Amino acid sequence: MTNDANSTRRSFLKSGALLAVPLAATVPAAVMADEGLKARLARLEDEAAIRQLHQTWLRRINTRADDTTREGDATTQLFADPKGAAFDQSVRSIAADHTGQPDAIEVAADGKSAAGRFQCAVEIETMITQDCTLARMAHAQGGGFVRRTERRLLKVEYVKDSGGWAIAKVEFALV
Amino acid sequence: MPGTPYPKEQMHRITYTKLSERQIADKLSTVAASGPMSVSPLSDVFAGKSIRIVTDKGPALTYTFGRNNRLSMTENGGGAVEAGYGALTLGNVAFFSHMIPGTQRGYAMVIDQDKNLATVFELWFSGYEDNREVQREIHYGYVEQPGQEAPKARHVTTNRIEGKGFYWKQDTGAETLEFYPSASYSNFVELSRLGGELGFCAPSDYIKINDDLYVYTRTECEFSGTFTMYVMDLNRVEQVGARLGFDASDALEYYVFRGKGEWLGQLAQFEKFGDENGAPVPAAPAGQTPAKGARRVYRPLKTMAKMSKADVDAAVAKRATAFPAAPPGVVPNGPGAQMGANRGPSTGWLSGKSFTLRYDTAPAMEYRVDDAENLNWRKQGDSGWTRARYQAWESAPGVILFGHLLEGAPNHDGHSIVVDFHQGLVTCFNGYLNTPYFANEAGVKIVFGVIEMEGLIPPKYNRHQFTDEMVGRAVSQNYAPGLTSMHLYTTLHSLSWIIFTDADAGGLEWSGPAAYVKIRDGLFFMYWLEEACNGTLGTILVNLHTMRDVGVGYSCGPNGLSMSAVGAHERLAGQFDIKRFYQVKTSGGAA
Repeated sequence: MTNDANSTRRSFLKSGALLAVPLAATVPAAVMADEGLKARLARLEDEAAIRQLHQTWLRRINTRADDTTREGDATTQLFADPKGAAFDQSVRSIAADHTGQPDAIEVAADGKSAAGRFQCAVEIETMITQDCTLARMAHAQGGGFVRRTERRLLKVEYVKDSGGWAIAKVEFALV
Repeated sequence: MPGTPYPKEQMHRITYTKLSERQIADKLSTVAASGPMSVSPLSDVFAGKSIRIVTDKGPALTYTFGRNNRLSMTENGGGAVEAGYGALTLGNVAFFSHMIPGTQRGYAMVIDQDKNLATVFELWFSGYEDNREVQREIHYGYVEQPGQEAPKARHVTTNRIEGKGFYWKQDTGAETLEFYPSASYSNFVELSRLGGELGFCAPSDYIKINDDLYVYTRTECEFSGTFTMYVMDLNRVEQVGARLGFDASDALEYYVFRGKGEWLGQLAQFEKFGDENGAPVPAAPAGQTPAKGARRVYRPLKTMAKMSKADVDAAVAKRATAFPAAPPGVVPNGPGAQMGANRGPSTGWLSGKSFTLRYDTAPAMEYRVDDAENLNWRKQGDSGWTRARYQAWESAPGVILFGHLLEGAPNHDGHSIVVDFHQGLVTCFNGYLNTPYFANEAGVKIVFGVIEMEGLIPPKYNRHQFTDEMVGRAVSQNYAPGLTSMHLYTTLHSLSWIIFTDADAGGLEWSGPAAYVKIRDGLFFMYWLEEACNGTLGTILVNLHTMRDVGVGYSCGPNGLSMSAVGAHERLAGQFDIKRFYQVKTSGGAA
C-alpha cells in the first residue's frame, strides 16, 4: 500500500471521525471494523515511526552528527546493519524538495518492512584534489571543496525488528 | 657610493637563525626596561595618568604612567612590574607599546579616546617552533571609566580594508608599498630596505576603529617573523604603529613609528554586498577551538619537497609527462591538471608545419609538427629529431602559445612559447631544473627571437618587449569550479596570488618572482616562479580582450616532471598606481 505521507494526517482524521460513529452495526461487522481499524492504526503508527526515523537520519546527516559527536556512530545507530550506514561522504546536506512529488511511505502487508521515497535537494561537496598550489592553499584555509545542489529521489528501505524501525538501505536516484 | 640597497639575499632565500629562547630573552632585556625606540617625539598623552583596560575574554590590565616614558602595570590583578613604553597619537587614537621585563611578552594598545574602546595586542616570542616568529592574540575591550557603565561597542575585525593599497614612509625613512588584497593576508614591497624588486606576503589582521581609522598587522611568517602593526587614517593617509622582531642579522627591532603615505588605489571585492566579515579564514578547523594566537598561515617552504640534483634526475627518469591525454571535456589526471579545466579548446593550426624559432640568446629550435599533439624538435645543428607531446592554444588570431618538454636536456628543460605568426616574433620561457637552492625548483630563461618559416619574413630588429603595463593590476582567474585566485602584479619582477574563500573573500596569499612580456595590445605573456614554495614555473598568456588566459605549468616533485595546461576565465579587479615607484632613478634608491 502506498500512502501519501503528507495526507496521512487527513486520513487519520477521517479514521477518527469513523471511530466517533455510534455502534449501530451487528457484532461481526463491528469486529471486522475493529480489526480494520487496528490494522490501519498500526500502519499509521508505523508510518509515523518511519517519518520520525527519516527526520532523525536527515538531522544527523545535515548536522554531520558523526563528526560533531566524534563517536562515529550517531548515524549508524539508525541502521539495522551498520554496514548499511556507509554513505556517500560527498553529501553535505539533504533538504526536502517541495517542488517535487510528495513524500511516500509504503509499509509492507506484513508490517515488517517498508519503503520510502522522498524528493529532495542534495548538496554535494566534492573535494578539490591537492594537485597544485592553489588547491593546497584552498585546503590550508579550510576550503578546497566544490559544492553544488542537485534534485534527487531518495529511496530508503526500512525493516522492523524487536527494537522498532531501522534503516536497511539508502539510495539516491537521479530525478 | 650609496645606491639602491639590494639585499644579498631576498627574504625568501635568507636562512634566518633559529634563535633560542635564551637568545631572545637576552636581546629583549634591555628594551623591556627602556621601551621602544622612536624617531618621532613620543607622546605624553598618558603621562601622570592611571587607566584600567578590561578585555572581553582576555586580561584586565592596569597602568600607571610616569614621566620619561615609564609605566607600572599589572595583569589580572597580579604583581606590578615596571617597564619602558612608547606612545604616539593619531587624532583621538592613542597607541602605546611595551614589553614586560623578564619575559618574552609585551603589549601594543590601541585606545579610542572618544569612545574609551581599547584593542589589545598581546605579543610574545617562542610560541611557535621558530621562536623568532612573533605571536599575537587580539583582545577587544574598553578603558574603564569610574562611575560609568562599560561601553557595549567594540572594535571589530573587518574586510573594509580589503582591496586598498598605500605607499608608506615611516619616520625611520623606511618606505614600503603595502597592499591589502585579502581580508586575512597582505602584500608588502620593501622599497628602501630591499630595493623594491619583489613583493612578499604575510598573514594580517584588519580591525575597524571607525569609518576612517583602522588597525593593520602583519607577521612575516616564513621569513624573519617580524611583527608590524599600525593604526591608519585612510583620509589623512597617516599611520602610527610599532615594529617588533629580529632582522636578518638577528638584531632586535623594537620601535614605534609615525608615517605618512599615499593612497594607491582600490581593487574590487568579490564578497556579496553587505558582507563585511572580517574573519573569512577561520583560525582553526570547524569544530575546534583555536589555541591562543592561532591563525591560518601558509607555510610553503616548510611543506615543500626539497630535492637534490640526484633526486631530480631519478624522479624525471621515472616519470616525465606532458599534457596527459583525456577525452574532450574531461580534465586529465596529473599534477596541476585542475589548473587547466578552463583552458578552452586547443588548436591544431601547427599540424603539418615546419618552422625554426631563431632565438637571440639561445640556440635556434627547429620544429616539424606531426599533428595537434605531437611534434618533433631539434636544436639547430643537431642531426636527430626528438618527438614530444605538446598542446597549443590560439589566444588571439595568429598568436599561439604552445609548450613541450625537452627530453634529454641535462636540466630537464621545458619550453613555454608564444609565437606570433602575424609579426614573425617568438618569446620563449625556458624552464629548467637543477637550480641552486633546491634542485626541483624551476628556474627560467627568457629568450626573444623570430619565426623562420616558408612564406613568412620576420623582422630584423623588432622583438617582443618586457613591459610594466601589467604592474599594479589585479586580475582574478577561475581555473576550475571552486578553484579561483587573483593575481596582483606587485612589482616589475614579482606577482602574488590570492586564494578566495567560499564567501569569495580574499584568503591566503603568496608571491613569487615574475616577468611580463607584451605580445600585443591587451595580450601579455608572463611567468611566475613559486620559489621556496613548491618550485613550479607558471606561464600564462593573458588576453585582456577576451579575459581568458591560457598557459603551461612546469613542475618537478618526487613523482616526476610534468608539464600541464593552464587556463582560466578572468576578471579585471582594478589597478594600483605604482609603476612610478619602479622607475630607474638617476641617483639614489629605488623609491
